[in-house]
Amino acid sequence: MDVTPTWLGVVTHLHVTPRAFLPMRGMDAIELVEGRGIVGDRYMIGTEQGFYSDKPEDGRQVTLFEEEALECIRRDHNITMLPEEHRRNVTTRGVPLNHLVGRRFRLGGCLLEATRLSFPCKHIEEILEKPVFDPMVHRSGLNCRILEGGTVRVGDAVRPV
Amino acid sequence: MKHVQTVVREAEPAGPGVRRLTLMDPDGWPLPKAKPGAHIDLHLPGGLTRAYSLCGDPAQADRYVVAVKREGDGRGGSAFVHDALAVGDALGVSLPRCTFPLAPDAAEHVFVAGGIGVTPFLPMAMAAERAGTPWRLHLLHRDAPPLPDTLAPLAESGRAVLHDTARTPRPALSALLGPAAPGRHAYCCGPAGMIADFEAATADWPAGAAHVEHFVPPPLLPDPEARPFTLVLARSGREAALPAGAPLLPAIRALGGAVEASCEGGICGACRVRWLEGPPLHRDRVLSPAERERDVMACVAGCAGPRLVLDL
Ligand code: FES
Repeated sequence: MDVTPTWLGVVTHLHVTPRAFLPMRGMDAIELVEGRGIVGDRYMIGTEQGFYSDKPEDGRQVTLFEEEALECIRRDHNITMLPEEHRRNVTTRGVPLNHLVGRRFRLGGCLLEATRLSFPCKHIEEILEKPVFDPMVHRSGLNCRILEGGTVRVGDAVRPV
Repeated sequence: MKHVQTVVREAEPAGPGVRRLTLMDPDGWPLPKAKPGAHIDLHLPGGLTRAYSLCGDPAQADRYVVAVKREGDGRGGSAFVHDALAVGDALGVSLPRCTFPLAPDAAEHVFVAGGIGVTPFLPMAMAAERAGTPWRLHLLHRDAPPLPDTLAPLAESGRAVLHDTARTPRPALSALLGPAAPGRHAYCCGPAGMIADFEAATADWPAGAAHVEHFVPPPLLPDPEARPFTLVLARSGREAALPAGAPLLPAIRALGGAVEASCEGGICGACRVRWLEGPPLHRDRVLSPAERERDVMACVAGCAGPRLVLDL
């Protein structure tokens, strides 16, 4: 029996950064380019700069993170992590990201295909000076490919297709 | 790798034999945060890395400022910075590391510096000033001091005191530091002899109240199990001697080995490499015992034997 998805989520934060390790910058809107990435972000395909950890890859054109995971990390580990600190582009609320691997869904007007779960990067502990690597394992968000691009804004809906 | 790309935006003399560099992101984006007292490695040509304390205003998030004194012993790092590096050049640096932080609960900071050892204290003093924590800086130098323009306003305020030991007798550190007192923290950065004097002068201070930074900061604490070994790439035959605790990925790449990486924490599987001789010290969380007989996750591995030979 196929279960019809019933969730409906929202974009709560958007962040980009042009190069590995640099602080993420909060945005009201970001531009997704089909098959490539986000304008101005380090994962944009065609902007390779030779850094391994943040090297662009086909399945990681845009990355998402659950705001709920930040709450879990605070609840379970007593570590406050801010939306600009998890280093994913899109912070969502109400979206079961871990269930979406291999599926398509709408981010605002854009169409994404989830390729795999994200892994945390060990260097995040050095950058933040917070022991967040272990707490982030298995809840480090989702990597996606962009099937239909466009503008995504804070407050946009995230929904199944 | 831990490689932050910067561009030299300013390079200017800043005291005798000192060249000050202002490094910024190519687009002026904010750089990774640095604590007052932190240092960065400059990644110089030929695989040289040299550590320098940041000496700029920590409130300026878009730049790293370092002051490089020309070294007399002919090591290539400072000579390159003085003679070859130009404004506009690209320069890779490490993430900032702080092995010399301000004590967060201090009621008062006393800084003692020798010569170019003043550099970490400049951001520390600025941070203490903003936090409203009383501080005092004693700089012992011969003839002209380093970074005179940064020091001038601090000296005018009376909180930084310059002791020119070419003109006046060298003061006793115990006299500069005063006695131990509740909440008083003392810090020293300078040549080895000065650090020894400082340690003697603070020998009876409470534990944790006296802090030292050597000119060349120590590397991050290695794993206690770590030991030096020779890394060998079997296909090219190239090898390198690695000190205890040295990370493997940059060493492999420096030898021309191609290995992917993603998490760099031993959980994603990207950096899996076949090993031929070792045995490796496995520190990953992805390989089964059977897989470890054959493969190793390079990002977190060490070696239990004298040679680690990889199928690369
Ligand atoms: S890079 Fe992820 S396991 Fe080594």
